Amino acid sequence: MEHYNMNLTLKVWRQKNKNDQGRFETLQAKDISSEMSFLEMFDVVNEQLINDGKDPVAFDHDCREGICGSCSMHINGRAHGPWDGTTTCQLHMRAFNDGDTITVEPWRAGAFPVIKDLTVDRTAFDRIIEAGGYISVNTGNAQDANCLPVDKNDADLSFAAASCIGCGACVAACKNSSAMLFVSAKVSQLALLPQGHPEKQSRALNMVAQMDKEGFGSCTNTGACEAECPKEISLTNIARLNREFIGAGFSSEK
Amino acid sequence: MLNAKIPAGPLNSKWEDYKGHCKLVNPANKRNLEVIIIGTGLAGASAAASLGELGYKVKAFCFQDSPRRAHSIAAQGGINAAKNYQNDGDSVFRLFYDTVKGGDYRAREANVHRLAEVSGNIIDQCVAQGVPFAREYGGLLSNRSFGGTQVQRTFYAAGQTGQQLLLGAYSALERQVALGNVKMYSRHEMLDIVKIDGKARGIIARDLVTGELERHFGHAVLICSGGYGNVFYLSTNAMGSNATAAWKATKNGAYFANPCFTQIHPTCIPVSGDHQSKLTLMSESLRNDGRIWVPKKQNDTRKASDIPEEERDYYLERRYPAFGNLVPRDVASRAAKERCDAGFGVGTSRQAVYLDFAAAIERYGSIEVGKRQLTNVSKEDIIKLGKEVVAEKYGNLFDMYAKITGENPYELPMRIYPAVHYTMGGLWVDYELNTTVPGLYSLGEANFSDHGANRLGASALMQGLADGYFVLPYTIGNYLADEIRTKAISTDHPAFVEAEKSVQDIINKFMTTKGTRSVDYFHKKLGKIMWDKCGMARNEKGLKEAIEEIKALRVEFWKEVRVPGEAKEFNPELEKAGRVADFLELGELMCMDALNRRESCGGHFREESQTEDGEAKRDDDNFSYVAAWEYKGYGQYELHKEPLVFEECKPTQRSYK
Amino acid sequence: MKWSQFFNTSIGKKLLVGATGLFLCSFVIVHLAGNFQLLYNDQGKAFNAYAAFMGHNSLIQFIAWGLKIVILLHAFIAIQLTFSNRAARPVKYAVSPGNQTSSWFSRQMAIMGSILFIFLIIHLANFWAKFHYGDMPTQTYAGFEEPLKDLYRVSQETFKQGWLVALYVIGMIGLSFHLIHGFKSACQTFGLNHKKYNGLINFIGVWLFGIAIPIGFAIIPVVIYFK
Repeated sequence: MEHYNMNLTLKVWRQKNKNDQGRFETLQAKDISSEMSFLEMFDVVNEQLINDGKDPVAFDHDCREGICGSCSMHINGRAHGPWDGTTTCQLHMRAFNDGDTITVEPWRAGAFPVIKDLTVDRTAFDRIIEAGGYISVNTGNAQDANCLPVDKNDADLSFAAASCIGCGACVAACKNSSAMLFVSAKVSQLALLPQGHPEKQSRALNMVAQMDKEGFGSCTNTGACEAECPKEISLTNIARLNREFIGAGFSSEK
Repeated sequence: MLNAKIPAGPLNSKWEDYKGHCKLVNPANKRNLEVIIIGTGLAGASAAASLGELGYKVKAFCFQDSPRRAHSIAAQGGINAAKNYQNDGDSVFRLFYDTVKGGDYRAREANVHRLAEVSGNIIDQCVAQGVPFAREYGGLLSNRSFGGTQVQRTFYAAGQTGQQLLLGAYSALERQVALGNVKMYSRHEMLDIVKIDGKARGIIARDLVTGELERHFGHAVLICSGGYGNVFYLSTNAMGSNATAAWKATKNGAYFANPCFTQIHPTCIPVSGDHQSKLTLMSESLRNDGRIWVPKKQNDTRKASDIPEEERDYYLERRYPAFGNLVPRDVASRAAKERCDAGFGVGTSRQAVYLDFAAAIERYGSIEVGKRQLTNVSKEDIIKLGKEVVAEKYGNLFDMYAKITGENPYELPMRIYPAVHYTMGGLWVDYELNTTVPGLYSLGEANFSDHGANRLGASALMQGLADGYFVLPYTIGNYLADEIRTKAISTDHPAFVEAEKSVQDIINKFMTTKGTRSVDYFHKKLGKIMWDKCGMARNEKGLKEAIEEIKALRVEFWKEVRVPGEAKEFNPELEKAGRVADFLELGELMCMDALNRRESCGGHFREESQTEDGEAKRDDDNFSYVAAWEYKGYGQYELHKEPLVFEECKPTQRSYK
Repeated sequence: MKWSQFFNTSIGKKLLVGATGLFLCSFVIVHLAGNFQLLYNDQGKAFNAYAAFMGHNSLIQFIAWGLKIVILLHAFIAIQLTFSNRAARPVKYAVSPGNQTSSWFSRQMAIMGSILFIFLIIHLANFWAKFHYGDMPTQTYAGFEEPLKDLYRVSQETFKQGWLVALYVIGMIGLSFHLIHGFKSACQTFGLNHKKYNGLINFIGVWLFGIAIPIGFAIIPVVIYFK
């Protein structure tokens, strides 16, 4: 692949801590190779900032292979940038051209308060899982794995939902900051499996209640979450969550 | 002499026997016993969940923003278990035997046998948790084959097995958090162990958001913080993967075992430039169909497509006709390095070899033509059909490659090169997973583990979960049963005060050094030394140089490192500085261990110890032991040996020709 | 979960919006069918008879008041959700994705709904209020004992005013965009998202509610205006 170098202007959100107002800062990224990942471009910028005696830009990142869900940048108006089905760490600089100006913002949601610069607090997702995103089986309780046959199609759908990496792009992309895609992915994964059935009602009810409590918005079915999800989780999961929730709400005796 | 506390009796009844006789803690007492767990990957999360379920008071720590981000999540291929669902002759003994042999006879038999025994339970547990493993049309679980074995025992969830297993353990952990049995401390980093009367009694942790230091008491401390591959700077590890917890344990008296045993994975996407921050693995399964080659001519700058068939050197098929492209990881990695060092490498960096699917595409295309009974098919159509088959098998990997390199692997051969992937070495533990410090345990990749000198594919996930779900919950009871009279110790105890002060001193040192170089500068330099001199091939001269160079680098680091910002705030550079400081010590110990082990075994290849045709040569007479290093002060270590006794697996030389 | 809790969750509220929305969808079909009688060339006999029936049948009247409550409920909960959705993002993005990730009209339900609401008030003032409480001309038709209120003539006169015709067309454009997304969205909220039925749902949402019905409504004042 032919590669090229470029100079870029970055408009990056800088915010010292959660109490700070925050503002955009313009930074120059020089001699950026088209072979770099977007985060490697930030490594270069940060190295320069450190050498200049300034504070580097703080951002979440870890595996840098698109699976841990840490990275979370809103790039030119798009969660995880312009490529579909891609996390920020897998976005490469050949998506940009010499002279481009790139605006980088943190995920914006009341439920995801900024910790510093581009780093946000996503523990709300953990608390939603705590509310019911599991099957209550203690270690050692399990029967033999093949005692529970699962329709292959259901297993595949369950896996597709389970591929959610919890990055929060769905919330970031949604005009309402709704977490429905995230919640629906977990509810669907477990609702599609026989193991998940005993708790399906309380799971749907409790996870939705927690989601509301955290201050996420509601879903208006615009589809932006599906369009931005790096794992391309389908909106059909949200429909399934709705079915589960309605079913539970109308029939649960609690 | 190190006592591994291996139970007496025949190998296959040791664990049953142990479980039948180990001490138990009654439920009322469990509520008063506190356990600290460092790391929430497969080992940490599964241990936290299981101990919480048992009723212990658990505190779990991870440096990431959520326990779900631990790097176990990135494991691709699968998890082994001796279920024998395929009726192909698998058994607990076979899994045990394959693992010991794959580890080149440098693992402890009793531990490996226990691992094989509980492997089946892991699959049961995960399925019950809702892990969506791949299934057959009948609804039952599917298996695939993996390197180093002759049976199909690998359970998988597409190329995301680690993710699914971790999310299973994570949800079990979160359930315990909700029930109040586990308290989760995310964005917290453990920076020291607190020892009181020789026993591990707590930790000092830094809240990474506020920068405040915290003291936490525990009746026992579990180190489940993963491997130390990031000593090499470039590895398939996550950016945050670090050895700090394990290293602080070492400095507090836990021995560090076999530090030189690192696994270099042969199929990774090669380095593209100095900016490179990490390397990405392409699953081992690609070697089932891809052919590896380099040009026959040195420094050949032609495009792959312009090099005719007769000018290509399929060096693995040439050197190892019996196994061809499917030789074990260590062998494949060394062969690639040999070709590149000799000037036959490809790509701009010349540090890569081709992994070519053209032949596979054509072969699968022809098979499809036969299957569909097509006639008069053009070559283009055959290739098109073949690409469809390859896409079905490896589509997600090909996509990942295309995203990173910008090249289309269906048209051009992939460029690959070996990269640091896993560390078999780690904290020395006995049969109970206890380190040499009472009450300080180590699980998963963080311990020196069950993999000897080389880990087989799909065994890391198995070990992490075995330790956390099925081993430690029993063995820790044996220790805690004697601790029921120990009341929670106040964190005002002088040992806590002193430990916190030493942590604070190090932080102050970082903040006041105000040098001229970034942390990454030193990390990259260390990585280069380690890769060049303690990487795929090691020799006495290089290792001695490396030790001196690391020592010098360490001095420079403490004089010249620049940590921006403040200590009492969210400061990723400060976090990195602490981790790199520890790597700078551990790297030296790795070289010392490699220097000491004058034999080649598994991933450790000493150039002085090879057969005439360049293969690894083990020296069982002199090195059939675990090298456990005791910290004796800054840069000083004492070697302790745990002799390895093989009752069931008699060591033989591996051959793949 | 008690009913009060259930309908206070985000999904519970959306269910109410969706259910009322679907009820209103059914209403527009009936309403349009009745309105087409305005285009008959019978001096308004059929239409006025229909209007008289609708205005006096007690069951219809009961439903009509229900309808108004439904409209208010639909609007009230939707506004409530809109505000809480806005509040869920206290700091806005400097750069928004525009139409790259979602359709323009799917994001403008509140605006379209507001246009419709304003339209509705004017519409009710023009006809419903006059019919029930205002001075209405009457007309006697063969076969009817009593003279009927001549809503037909009122509409013929009303739609001779160009600006009002334009307003009706704008209102119907609002209806179109509101329903293109609204019908499908309500189905999704009820969990109706299935490969086998999505084609049908889309077809009904776009062609029936998004295009045919708004055009049907809009064409009446336009035809009258040019007659």
